[in-house]
Amino acid sequence: MRRSSAWTIFGISLVIFGVGFLLPLFRVVGGGFFADGHFTLQFIQAVFKDAIYREGLFNSVMLGLGTTFLATCISLPLAWLANRYRFPLKSVFTALVLVPMILPPFVGAIGFQQIFGQYGVINAALNLGPIDWLGNGRYFGVILLQALALYPIMYLNVAAALANIDHAMDEAASNLGCSGFTKFRRITLPLIMPGVFAGGTIIFIWSFTELGTPLIMNYSRCASVQVYDALKEIQSDPFPYALVTVMLVVSVGLYCLSKFLFGRQNYAMTSKATTTFKEETTKGWKTVAVMAPFIVVIFFALLPHFGVILTSLSVPGSWYQSVFPQDITGANYIEALGHDMTVSSIKNSLTFSVLAVAFNIIFGIAIAFVVVRSDIRFRGLLDALAMLPLAVPGLVMAFGYLAVSSWLSNLDGVKNSPFLLGLCDVKTNPTLFLVVAYSMRRLPYMVRSAVAGLQQTSVTLEEAAANLGAPPLVTIKRVTMPLITANLIAGALLAFAFSMLEVSDSLMLAQRAEFYPITKTIYELFQLIGTGKYLASALGVWAMLFLAVTIIGASLLLGKKMGALFRV
Amino acid sequence: MAVGIKTNNLVKVFGETRAVDGVDLDIQPGEIFFLLGPSGCGKTTLLRCLAGFNVPDDGTVHIGDRDVTKLAPHERDTGMVFQSYALWPHMSVVQNVAFGLEMRKISKDEIKKRVGEALEMVQMTDRATFKPNQLSGGQQQRVALARALVIHPKCLLLDEPLSNLDAKLRLEMRTEIRRICKEAGLTAVYVTHDQKEALSVADRIAILSDGKLQQVDVPEGLYRKPVSRFVADFIGETNFVKGEVTLFDEASVNVRTPMGTVISSQSPPERLELGQEVTLSIRPEILYFNDPPSGSLNIFNGAVHDSVYLGEMAQHQVKVPALDSGYADGFVRLKAFDLNPKIVAREGSAEVQLWFAPEDVVVLAK
Repeated sequence: MRRSSAWTIFGISLVIFGVGFLLPLFRVVGGGFFADGHFTLQFIQAVFKDAIYREGLFNSVMLGLGTTFLATCISLPLAWLANRYRFPLKSVFTALVLVPMILPPFVGAIGFQQIFGQYGVINAALNLGPIDWLGNGRYFGVILLQALALYPIMYLNVAAALANIDHAMDEAASNLGCSGFTKFRRITLPLIMPGVFAGGTIIFIWSFTELGTPLIMNYSRCASVQVYDALKEIQSDPFPYALVTVMLVVSVGLYCLSKFLFGRQNYAMTSKATTTFKEETTKGWKTVAVMAPFIVVIFFALLPHFGVILTSLSVPGSWYQSVFPQDITGANYIEALGHDMTVSSIKNSLTFSVLAVAFNIIFGIAIAFVVVRSDIRFRGLLDALAMLPLAVPGLVMAFGYLAVSSWLSNLDGVKNSPFLLGLCDVKTNPTLFLVVAYSMRRLPYMVRSAVAGLQQTSVTLEEAAANLGAPPLVTIKRVTMPLITANLIAGALLAFAFSMLEVSDSLMLAQRAEFYPITKTIYELFQLIGTGKYLASALGVWAMLFLAVTIIGASLLLGKKMGALFRV
Repeated sequence: MAVGIKTNNLVKVFGETRAVDGVDLDIQPGEIFFLLGPSGCGKTTLLRCLAGFNVPDDGTVHIGDRDVTKLAPHERDTGMVFQSYALWPHMSVVQNVAFGLEMRKISKDEIKKRVGEALEMVQMTDRATFKPNQLSGGQQQRVALARALVIHPKCLLLDEPLSNLDAKLRLEMRTEIRRICKEAGLTAVYVTHDQKEALSVADRIAILSDGKLQQVDVPEGLYRKPVSRFVADFIGETNFVKGEVTLFDEASVNVRTPMGTVISSQSPPERLELGQEVTLSIRPEILYFNDPPSGSLNIFNGAVHDSVYLGEMAQHQVKVPALDSGYADGFVRLKAFDLNPKIVAREGSAEVQLWFAPEDVVVLAK
């Protein structure tokens, strides 16, 4: 592509990133380090001196580490088994393993509580008194829930890494007398380590700052909930800024560490496939042994979903101290769709997500073209910048947008103009901020898919079109776009699904009921006494269905297996 | 209408390497012109400068009378055949071939007619509705050729078009490409690293090394009269023997070598001096064994050993005793190709009388 157009896109991208991504972070860090225009460390120090904040941070780090560890333990064996063996119903199992991705963990928490709560299924089934299984162990409940919801990210990364290993390496180890677990430890594990670390980093950053799950589980002694509770004082109180700054530094630090450790070390396989690897078809007891881990994991991973579905089907109050709901009804679904808040929330989520994804498609393609097809200096920087949102927790971004909004709406020019106030003040109308937040957070998926598509499409195909007289835009329309459509749809779908399920920004930025997206509505409904929990579950099931249909539909359209859509 | 192509002091730099370094080409209308050289010599970069995919850092490119140096690829009206063929996988054979005509806003009927003719020319009419991945390598290559030719380009650019084909098909396509170019009267620039391909198809060949032109000549000129050690070594096989000029006039040169005085009657390099160090290029196939015709010059005694028998010919190593006892292990070693071989020395060696004609020996200045 021509340098002039590459530089134009580069410039526009920098401006968009500057305003949409760096400015909010700047406001956060500024609020954490500056008082009256002077640099100070006193707020950061105060955060570490304050016993409550210190405990919150410590607990958050432990939540992150625990979730990452558990998710790795769950997904590593599954990915390894799926890579190695062929067994009955394998494609069903490997698709079901990914299902947790269609439900945000905090919705699952509602179902989870129905099962493990004081008056839940376990106690009723075992005829025990009101033992609170979660009780003091709510901490582990949060870890378990998050791990069960996030392990697919690790699974996909490890599966991709395993698929990339030249089987000849494995055979070479066998040939030299190495087998079993030693071979896994000495050969396989080191080769997939970059994949494990990439997945682990994303899971840690996600769970370290997760807001929805601790809120629903009523676990308030972690930093994310402390920040959420302190939002009301965003104008005056510097402590939430300082707390968020610390979370930002930890996340970005970890991201950079993993890039530094494994960024360049993506072991290049010397050859693609010297020997064609045939999965071993299992026989007899081995089939059972291979299938068992899948069944166990899928059972536990879908438990929260079943809880949610059963809750949504219960007559309010009828699933209490019993194994199954006493009375089943479909009324919750109808009521959920009739409730003022839910109808508008579905409309809102669709609006925000569609706008964000549309923006991402255009922006993502433009960036990918510069990164792959131009030779300008700093194109690597643009690539890195587009990936950076992965390193910044949603909570930090949400807080940053809130800070920007509160700063903008207090400017004199904005304060007196109803139009500008509507754009800039989230308390008046959060549409602009939510669209920006959704698109910035999901941009990496779009850029990655578009970059992959362009890299797989030989540049000579475009050159051939130019040689035959096609101007650049015609070449893009007639040759490039048709060839990367599959990648674009996959990326857009992922961005869309994650936008519909977005939690932190939705909870924090949408402050008026008429602008609530689905996730915020589920949370608000959950807090209503009486029918709230049941309506929240019903809406959760609607969201699950909607996403499942979207994803399955698109995967049919693409003629690909479902798993291929989620290659992060 | 065939046009000529000219480049003037063309330079293309990638980072530290000068991929094309001051190249002047003058390709005649209707000529089949080859760019030949080892990999990394800059031949593909040079071709891409003609097509417009590389913008030169210095110099100019003219196609016909038009200066196209700064022109975008899609405005140059060249037809290119890519090494990978670059057929669009989402379009059928017909759609691939019709694309260039659509870009030229030609009427639907005319497109249909010309695509039909083009496919007929490459004998692909029965595969018209196939997608590229349903075609064999040879068929894809034909479609790529049809796609480039159907637009009636000012010139045809071919980037190693046969390198992905098997040996037999490559031989067929060589003559086929030459026939099609000559019938259409096209100017063609053809990049390859296969010297057989170049020698058999080209009107003229340019040898490139390190981004510079080494020699531009007709095939037999390059082979029989290389101007440098590089060209002599790159085209065909040869023996290099160093020596010192002892006598010369316009018609012949006497060179004293370790195996004795060798006489060359090839037109020698300019500015020769007595006592000058030169290198002789003696090709293996000019060497004959025993019974030299009367009046022969360049007759030496030697021994044949390490023969490799190939049926129609044999490859021998010949050891000629060095006059200077201090030379290597006392022998000058020469490769020899022997057509219709009578002597085969797999083990041991056979004494022979070795002779070759002065007009076949090339004197190289360096």
